[in-house]
Parts: sequence; C-alpha cells; structure tokens
Amino acid sequence: MFEPEMSSTAVTIRLENVTQRFRVIQERPDTLRELFSKFFRHQSSYHDFDAVKNVSLEVPPGQMLGIVGRNGSGKSTLLKVIAGVYRPTAGTVEVHGTLAPLIELGAGFHHELTGRENILLNGLLMGYSKREMLEREQRIIDFAEIGDFIDSPVKQYSSGMYMRLAFSVATEVDPQILVIDEILAVGDAGFQQKCFERIRNFKSAGKTIVLVTHDMSQIEEHCDRAILIEKGSIMADGPAAEVAELYRSSIALEVVGAH
Amino acid sequence: MIELVRETYRYRELIWALALKELKIRYKRSVLGFLWALLNPAFTMLVLTLVFSTLMRFPIPHYAIFLLSVLLPWTFFSQSLSYAVESIVTNGDLIKKVAVPKVVFPMAAIVSNIINLLLSLIPLALLVPLMRHPFYWTWLYLPVPLLALIIFTLGMTFFFAAANVYYRDVSHILQVVLSAWFYVTPIIYSLDFIPQKHQWIFKLNPIIYVINGFRLAVYYGKLPKAPSIIASFVCAFISLLIGYAIFRKYQDDFVFYV
Repeated sequence: MFEPEMSSTAVTIRLENVTQRFRVIQERPDTLRELFSKFFRHQSSYHDFDAVKNVSLEVPPGQMLGIVGRNGSGKSTLLKVIAGVYRPTAGTVEVHGTLAPLIELGAGFHHELTGRENILLNGLLMGYSKREMLEREQRIIDFAEIGDFIDSPVKQYSSGMYMRLAFSVATEVDPQILVIDEILAVGDAGFQQKCFERIRNFKSAGKTIVLVTHDMSQIEEHCDRAILIEKGSIMADGPAAEVAELYRSSIALEVVGAH
Repeated sequence: MIELVRETYRYRELIWALALKELKIRYKRSVLGFLWALLNPAFTMLVLTLVFSTLMRFPIPHYAIFLLSVLLPWTFFSQSLSYAVESIVTNGDLIKKVAVPKVVFPMAAIVSNIINLLLSLIPLALLVPLMRHPFYWTWLYLPVPLLALIIFTLGMTFFFAAANVYYRDVSHILQVVLSAWFYVTPIIYSLDFIPQKHQWIFKLNPIIYVINGFRLAVYYGKLPKAPSIIASFVCAFISLLIGYAIFRKYQDDFVFYV
C-alpha cells in the first residue's frame, strides 16, 4: 500500500524508466526433488521476459488515462505496477494520493463471509480504517442495491450482486486515484450505466483515473488521453480519440495482413 | 524490527479482521460454533485424564495437569505454524490483485491461534480444582512465557511461510519436524527423567525454556529462575530476527511465485 504523500507536484502518478521483468520458467521446480534433479543436470530452464520495458509516464491530477493494447502487451502488468502489486525490477514509481484498485472485482471477498463482513475486510485490505468503513457502510449497501442480502454470505449472491457490491466498496471509499482493469466489460447494461455515471462523477471531482480496456468506444467517450502499449513499451501517447483510432487501424492492418 | 512493530500497529485492524475471519470460517456451519474452541481442549483433557489415571500410570501425580500445562502452549505453537506456513500461498490470489503488506497473513494466523489458546486455558483452569490440584498464584506469571512463546512462534512462522512460497515441500517437511520436535521436547515426560549427563542435549532445544515457564507456573506453583527466563526471550528474539529478516528480504517477490 502506498503512503498517501502530500506533495505540491502536479502529478499524481509518475513512472520513471520502469521495467517489470518476469522469470518465465518452462519447468518450474515446484518441489525439492525437481530442484535437486535440475541442480545436478545443470540446466537452466527459464528465460527472463520484460512485460514492461523502460516505461516513463506522468499522469496529472484529474486526468482520465486509457491504456490500450493487445492481449499480452503488458497493459495489466503496467496497471499492477501503478497499483503497487508488483515492485518493479527497475525504475521508480511514485503515487501521490490514496489509490483504489479495481483489478478484479471482489478480489478480497471471502465466500463464507457476509456482504457486510466483506465490506469491512475489503476496506481494511485497501488500507482504510474500520471507522471509515463503518461510516460508509450504508452508502455502499445502498449503491450496490443489495438489500437484505447484505447479511448473507456472498457465496449466495448472484454474480451481478457480487460485482455491484465489489464496485461499490472500491469506489465509495472515495479514493483520489482509481485504477480499473477491464472490469467494466461485465455486468448488465444498467449496472454499467451506473458505473460510468460514478466514474463521470469521479472525473468531475478532479480525481485521477487509469482505465485499461479493449473497448475503444469507452476510451473515446471517457478518457482525456490514451497510451498504446505494445510488447511492454509505449508506442503512442496522445488524445484518446487519436490513440483509439491508431489502435483500431493497427488491428485492422493485422487482420488484412492475415488474409 | 521497528518496521515490524510499526506495520503491525498500522495494520492492527486488518490483522484482527483476518484472524476473526479465520476463526469464523473454522467454526462456521457447526451448530456449537465458537464453543468448539472450548470443547475441543476440554474433550482432549477428558480423554487424557482418563487414559493417564487408569490405563497408563506415570509416577507423576495429577499427570493430566502436568501434561496439559505444556501441551496447550505446544498445540498453539504447532497449530500456528501449520496454519501460517500456508498463509501466503492461500492468499496468493489476493496478493496478486491488491497491494497489501504480506506480514499480515502469518500474523493473522498467529492471532487466531492466540485466541484459541486463551480459550483453551479456561477448561484447564476448571480442571485444576476438579482434580484437587492446588490453584497457584503463579498463574499470574503466565503472560510472561506467553509473550516469549508468541515472539518465538512468530519468527518461525515468518521463516516457514516465506520458504513455502518457493518450495511447497516445506509445509510437508514442517509436519515431520513438528512431530519429531514434540518428542524431543519434555511435554509428555519431564526433563528429570533424562540422565543428568544427557540433559545438556535437551537444553539445546530453543522451545524448552518457554515450555518450562508454563509447567512451573501451572503445575509446580513456582517461577522459573532468571537464566531460564532470559534464555526463553533470547531464543524468542533470535527466532524473530532471523525469521523476519528472511521474510522481509523475499516478500516483494512472493507475488511472482504464488
């Protein structure tokens, strides 16, 4: 969890020459037996792979940044570096302000616990205090439209209820920065509408949002700026509409080329 | 070390909530719920008392109390380790999605087991008058060995939880280690049973000093001597220093292996 730092700088997120290296292990020695047998055969069975390569990025407060790119291009890794899930192999990451990660809805939920218990646990996991969570509890329940189910274990929830509650927890805590990975592609139209309405409110409140998505219409409609990631590097950085168009045409080119 | 104290304080609510979650899940769907935390040791005690007062007679009066005074802290130790060794791996999904300090997971495992230990002392306190064993004022001393035991256990859990991320054999090895450790520790027997000239070997066992504190206070109504108390805390802090140093060194890489 990042320390909410007070700073006068005009950025909320700053990445400098960030590289995230993964060791891809072809035959991962999961057990000691495998380790020993590897050791005696003197094999190296891995290669290093940079999911994010030397990326520098600054996001000013109040900006909504879209990250686009093909599957495996490194978008999600970049988002996780920003969210503090990964400590980068090289480079520095600065985040000023409280950050709420929406990387997977309900990541911190436990099936056996009730909705109410999960609200508290999830908030604590994100670094909020118990008092803060209890204050917001009713608003979270109201927004999620869970009703009486709030005191039932979440394993009894429909997937829609589950997602509504998770989204509600993550956004009602009033973060200064919101990072969203793809999750808005799920849920029914009504729920999506509600989510985007909330995101618009976030934007007008001057909060910083980073959104990863494949849906170019979301980028065009909501983002101020977008970056195109390819093989771990930023290939384009500019106004959302232009980058979305660039991405569309690069996909189109590839489809044409394949035929 | 100061960092550990600071993180513990900062995330105390989270650690507490995770510990309660663990207990809730452990006793969920059972009719008696939390009562099991009391009933479980109570039934163990009943069985032990019956076995050792009728079938196997040791030349130790009130053997059940002699045994339970150290068996309960030992159970805390071995259960904490067994839970905590998996704590990073089982929370892997969470670690991959939320930036959360990793120390909270082994800590929560310990806290939930502390609650269990404290609850299990209640049936022991009831058994003492029931067997007409004197209730010594030295019970008041118990928080001291308890503290040493918690610190010692914490260090061990940090080490095993970290090691298990890299090699899942560790949790199996731990079970073997624990069962061997149980027999080389004077739990079911007394150190006095061991010939004088071999006793030094037993005194290399780092948990023996803390265990001794429990037995002296509950069974003998005595306080341990100063060197023994010091030894128990020295062992505890060495365990914590080494365990935490290793955990801290690798914690940022856990996310790649869970």
